[in-house]
Amino acid sequence: MKQFHNRGIPMLVSSSLHVRPSPIEEKYPKLLDSQQALMEMELRKNSLAPLQNPLMSNNGVYGFSLSAAPVFDSDLHIDAISPHEKHTFDAPYISKLSDRNSSLPSTFSLYSATCQPSLNTYPEESAEITWRPESIQGITDYPDHVNLNNQIQENHITNPGDINKQDEWSDLTGLINENWRELLDDSDTTESQTKVIHSAVHVPADFSVQNSQTHLSLPSHSSELSNATGPSSSTNAAPARSRMRWTPELHELFVEAVKKLGGSEKATPKGVRKLMKVEGLTIYHVKSHLQKYRTARFRPESIEGMSTKITQIEEVSSLDLRMGTGITEALRVQVEVQKQLHEQLEIQRKLQLQIEEHGRYLQMMFEKQCQGIDKIKASANMDESSTQLSELTNSIDIREIPENDHAKTDKRSPGAGLAAEDSPQLIDRHKMLKHDSKIESNIVGGSYSPPSKRSRHNYVDLSATPAI
Amino acid sequence: MKFGKRLKRQIEESLPEWRDKFLSYKDLKKLVRLISTTDASPQAEGEFVSLLDAEVEKFNAFFMEQEEEFVIRQRQELQERIRRAAESLRPSEAGYAAEMGRIRKDIVNFHGEMVLLVNYSSINYTGLAKILKKYDKRTGGLLRLPFIETVLKQPFFTTELISRLVKECEIMMEAVFPAAEEQVERREREALAMAEQSIFRNAVAALITMQELRKGSSTYGHFSLPPLILPDPDLLQSLQIPSPIPIQ
Repeated sequence: MKQFHNRGIPMLVSSSLHVRPSPIEEKYPKLLDSQQALMEMELRKNSLAPLQNPLMSNNGVYGFSLSAAPVFDSDLHIDAISPHEKHTFDAPYISKLSDRNSSLPSTFSLYSATCQPSLNTYPEESAEITWRPESIQGITDYPDHVNLNNQIQENHITNPGDINKQDEWSDLTGLINENWRELLDDSDTTESQTKVIHSAVHVPADFSVQNSQTHLSLPSHSSELSNATGPSSSTNAAPARSRMRWTPELHELFVEAVKKLGGSEKATPKGVRKLMKVEGLTIYHVKSHLQKYRTARFRPESIEGMSTKITQIEEVSSLDLRMGTGITEALRVQVEVQKQLHEQLEIQRKLQLQIEEHGRYLQMMFEKQCQGIDKIKASANMDESSTQLSELTNSIDIREIPENDHAKTDKRSPGAGLAAEDSPQLIDRHKMLKHDSKIESNIVGGSYSPPSKRSRHNYVDLSATPAI
Repeated sequence: MKFGKRLKRQIEESLPEWRDKFLSYKDLKKLVRLISTTDASPQAEGEFVSLLDAEVEKFNAFFMEQEEEFVIRQRQELQERIRRAAESLRPSEAGYAAEMGRIRKDIVNFHGEMVLLVNYSSINYTGLAKILKKYDKRTGGLLRLPFIETVLKQPFFTTELISRLVKECEIMMEAVFPAAEEQVERREREALAMAEQSIFRNAVAALITMQELRKGSSTYGHFSLPPLILPDPDLLQSLQIPSPIPIQ
């Protein structure tokens, strides 16, 4: 995988691709083997997408549910502010072809979409392998695609109907190889980009902006990320565009280093960087920060010199006469207003997060339904090949599911704030009840049929899950 | 339209260098309208998303830059204050008072700027949410939920650090300011005078905007925020400054 570790050396990328399209294939089986269980589960979830299809007015919507699925289900948690690097995992398997001015084919991104969940369990890997998907360049009409959207990815591009297959890996690898070659042939042609891109549906997944932001609260924490994402920009390998997020702790280190080097004027970016010993901190980060630091310091210093005069002349006369307690009071009022504003902003933000969390929760419930159906199918058809299963999934209308199958009811105790922790339990329970129950299947979005006695029993069972 | 107007007012009241860093709400709205009338093709959506991404990137860049400066300044204010306090203990009353006055002013303004940055984040988020909602409504898409997902994780929306700095600043202020006296009338007069200052003015405008935005909308739903409850509504009322710039 190292060969795909692009540090802004265009030739390497393309040549490696040219010569060996197979590495991609090598990668996939590796992943598949190691993550089979997780992947299967994910793909099953993804297979719910076609079920939703008839209900979606916009075909493009399909992509959203797909993208949503991994997000929701990968941890089976409703994790509102999960600081996971889930979203950063999109990056790894998308190559950076910015140098070639070529963008990624939609299918490649599709691959990354399905790939995404598997990456959750490989945080280290993903930290290393940081790509900068350049599909955006083709999408936008901006002439200077160089910097504008180079950090943004749009991964989840759908290909309705194809996604359900669990053995789509091979399909994808084929597609990807194809597209790689195509891309490399068409390097530097924007038309081919647009051609490729416009054939796909775009779903905004996760911003690799996230990748480029480096949250260095502590050294070596996420700093690997920043290092690799450093040359996030395009062709010229211009100075690292990745933004550093400076925290007070980091700044403290910086100041210490500067002091050691004899002050802000004497200190050089190189020296400071060395002293700080923060992984992933590039010289450009330090340089710009040092610049800011210098200008900030300059102001009070100059004022310090002036203040001795001004204080005596102007300030004494005007301040004391005009201000005194008055100004203090006025300042107090100002602070009051500001405090209030801040408080309200915090509250508002919490509310917004909660709202979105709730929205996700609802979405998850929605998908769990379908997922349940898929699980039944899967467990019922254990021995069948995945293709057959997916075909089944495609063709079978839920209403027609034979009696042996069952889906879990979506009915929960009203107002149950079922925490995400319930979901795994539910799924387990589900498997347990597999052969026993005959729960009437719930049609996605459709009306609920009255539960049979059996299902009511199950319903009770489910709701008996301790709510958290 | 309401939000658009409010946003415009906010932008006008904001510090000059911030003005072009806000959400291009009007333009995005136009685009949504355009897309809804023509076909909502995948590529149109893709372009729309790209634009949104660009906006988000704009926010992130600006936000992080400001954040960085605040981090630097915060340390500075602290140091400066300590230094001055140490120095000025000796000199006469006059010098000391003047210095302290200056320090206080600086700290208060610093506090204000940080709060305004949080407000910046909030208002842009709100704008994005609204635009997405409009988009979904007009094109029948489902862009909102997943997109907002990603937005929630963006640097510009994760304002924890700034909030922390604000709180630390408030603690600093407690130390710098003498015990409060109850001089309500004088307060209000002085407050009005102070309100002319851009930061303060901006903060007032922000609070008012927030209040009005949340008063109630025609499309109140699951995703709407409840009305704003201010602990001290009179304060805000007394500070309402008629805008010199007519809002269209």
